[in-house]
Amino acid sequence: MSEEQKAKTGHTKTEAGKRLSKIIFNDYMRLHQKAKEGAFVVWIAIVVPAELFSGFENVVYAVPESHAAMSAGKGVGPLQCEKAEGNGFSPDLCSYARIDLGTAFDGGKDSPTFGLPKPHLLVSDNNNCSLLVKWFDVYHREWGTPHFILDVPFCYEQQKDRDFDYILSQYRDLIAAIERLSGQKFDARRFREAVQNTGEALTQWKRFLKVASHRPSGLTVFDSFVQMAPFLTSRGSRELVDHYRLLADETEDNIAWGIFPVPHEKYRLLWDNIAPWHQLSKMSARLAGLNANIIAASYTYCMGSLEGEFDLYAYDGGDPLGYLARTQNFSVCPHGLELRYRSMQKAIKEVGIDGVVFASNRSCKVYSIMQMDMLKRVTRELNIPAVMIDVDHADVRKYTEESVFGRIEALLELIDVRRNHALS
Amino acid sequence: MDHKMKKDLRKKYLRRRRHLGQLRGLGNMDPYNKMKSLKDKGGKIIGCFPLYPPLELFHSMGLTPVVLWGLKDSVKTSGRADLHLQSYACSVARHLVEFVLSDQGRIMDGLFMYNACDTLRNLPEILHCGLEENGRSLPVFKMHIPMAPQEQTGTSGYLRAKILSLIMELEETFGVVFSPEEFRHSVALYREMRLLCKELESRVARGAISYGRFSQIIQESYFTTVEDHIALMKDTLKEDPLFRNDSVGPSPAVAIIISGILPPPPKLIDALEDAGFRVAGNDIASQRRSYDYTPEAADNPCSYYVDFYFNHFPCPTLLYSADKRIATIKNLASGAGARGFVFIGEKFCEDEYFEIPYLQKILKEMGIPTLPLEISIEDDLNSTACVTRLEAFSEMLRG
Repeated sequence: MSEEQKAKTGHTKTEAGKRLSKIIFNDYMRLHQKAKEGAFVVWIAIVVPAELFSGFENVVYAVPESHAAMSAGKGVGPLQCEKAEGNGFSPDLCSYARIDLGTAFDGGKDSPTFGLPKPHLLVSDNNNCSLLVKWFDVYHREWGTPHFILDVPFCYEQQKDRDFDYILSQYRDLIAAIERLSGQKFDARRFREAVQNTGEALTQWKRFLKVASHRPSGLTVFDSFVQMAPFLTSRGSRELVDHYRLLADETEDNIAWGIFPVPHEKYRLLWDNIAPWHQLSKMSARLAGLNANIIAASYTYCMGSLEGEFDLYAYDGGDPLGYLARTQNFSVCPHGLELRYRSMQKAIKEVGIDGVVFASNRSCKVYSIMQMDMLKRVTRELNIPAVMIDVDHADVRKYTEESVFGRIEALLELIDVRRNHALS
Repeated sequence: MDHKMKKDLRKKYLRRRRHLGQLRGLGNMDPYNKMKSLKDKGGKIIGCFPLYPPLELFHSMGLTPVVLWGLKDSVKTSGRADLHLQSYACSVARHLVEFVLSDQGRIMDGLFMYNACDTLRNLPEILHCGLEENGRSLPVFKMHIPMAPQEQTGTSGYLRAKILSLIMELEETFGVVFSPEEFRHSVALYREMRLLCKELESRVARGAISYGRFSQIIQESYFTTVEDHIALMKDTLKEDPLFRNDSVGPSPAVAIIISGILPPPPKLIDALEDAGFRVAGNDIASQRRSYDYTPEAADNPCSYYVDFYFNHFPCPTLLYSADKRIATIKNLASGAGARGFVFIGEKFCEDEYFEIPYLQKILKEMGIPTLPLEISIEDDLNSTACVTRLEAFSEMLRG
């Protein structure tokens, strides 16, 4: 099995990878089971701080974006997209949204997790992407489910005090809304524990990502992409802390034993955008064949950091609500170009990057529109070659492998040329 | 009179009305030349990103706001924008970037933007890069308008604070001073302008003014002073017999509503009118959604804009207005006696796209057929298919 898998993907499934599958399976089964038993179900946008729900005894949450990513990874993305398109949703809409709408309006059919249990509350936010609000409005209108919007200002610079206070006031509103709708009381002790767990989990996450600095790298970005999933489905849990600790331990051990995903690593690349979920295995294997390894991604190193930073922003055990408000903008999408550049610059230096792959993603304009100037700045100011490829994070129909690899190979040649030039 | 003869007469009549509009000089100057004439009068021009900037505030502080949509007549290509934006950015964003980065963009003294959509919120720094490449810079005033409902704690207070910050930034940058009296005066002017827009729109709905001509008049407002726009509309209403007498001319029979970000391009407007449609209801962002609501005169800009934004005509881009929007569309459709609903979809505008299936569903329940059209940056090249679909839609509605 492992040899067969190695031939297919370039490396064998790690223990952490096997454990991950179990965690995700259990998370979804528990979600369905609890919903069936009468738990209050919340659907949330990807960066809504799920620790808030841990403050309630019987509130569970689902993340449609995460479910859509998994659907794309399991190969049912186009099928679900087509269902949404058949219901009048434009193919130019985000493929996560189309997968989710296609799944929901077909009762969870063809979903790897049997869909998601129907929500009692929708919580969107507009800092990652305002279209999440529009997407959840579809359900709000169709099903009459209440919809709470977290309004989070975009960051052109680091978070201002007024924005912090504004976010905080909305968290309090959200807690009050759940109390009112679910009839449950918010327990501050449970909530603090969840935030503590998240803080610990993120410390381990950063430890895991650090192995990329080793030459050859102890990870591929594809490992880190898939390992993000439990941060979304198990956020705030002890299980997540344990998993990320074992993940970091195991990856460090591999380095000590001389086990590397791309042993003859010649090119160390950075990926900018959401993962191409439908291509993880294929892309990973093909890159490994070229002795190229994508070892870092803005999509993964943003977890646990503040806007414009690369290092961990640790939870100090203080006000848990304040910590969540301060880290509300952790993901890349709510950052302006200057902040994105600053964190990428740090990543490039700390991890040791030879070239950057900007994945222009039709399904995520907020991530992508800005990349052309980012690319120019990275090549000009950091003297790092970069290339732009066209992808769609979840709709394989909008992806052309040969065109993408034509560009990536050109990037590798450019890196060679620069190296040869430096030697001569 | 047989059907063909009626149709020919109607076409002849509509062409005459369009011609009259052209004679009045409407639409003959492109946005740049209009801005230039403003600049020549000594105004400091603030280029405002769409959709609903706080125009009254800029005006009250002695600045001249222009809204940067409908720029197609000034930007013949998108070469500069293409160096900064992927092809899946909408035409509004691409035209805006092209204009600001072109030499014509030098006419502006500053830019204002708010979080109208995901694409627009990414533009300020892109523009900064583009301008810097050419040794240029422009002050950019950025503002976050709360997108959660007003009932949510903090939204009104946050908006008030943002308005105050904007005032301070403007004062500091341009050496101007905010005055409550001037603000009250500007609010009164904009209120008058918006009421006149609504009056004209009601004439379109009754079939007394062609929609094409109306659109030209409204477009004037993007790149002229509010005073000139008021004068233009008053003058038009007073002098033109077509405006004075609502019963002049045959009224096209089929009442429709049009919905979208921008009005259809001229070729499609012609096709719409040639197909015998009367625009009985308007849900265009640069038209009805922009001028439908103005609060009563006020000298406190913070209270004014809390009222202005939270009671605004619902728009897919104003995220908090989702519930009100459905009721508004239903009222618009039933009040106008619409027999059809045409979506003028702006290619890649996801805010609009997400709503269309649900709106189609409720309109279907009301017995109103819908026609979704899509307009892209190459709309002049692709108009034939849309024209054919409009004609087919007309035939269908006429039975």
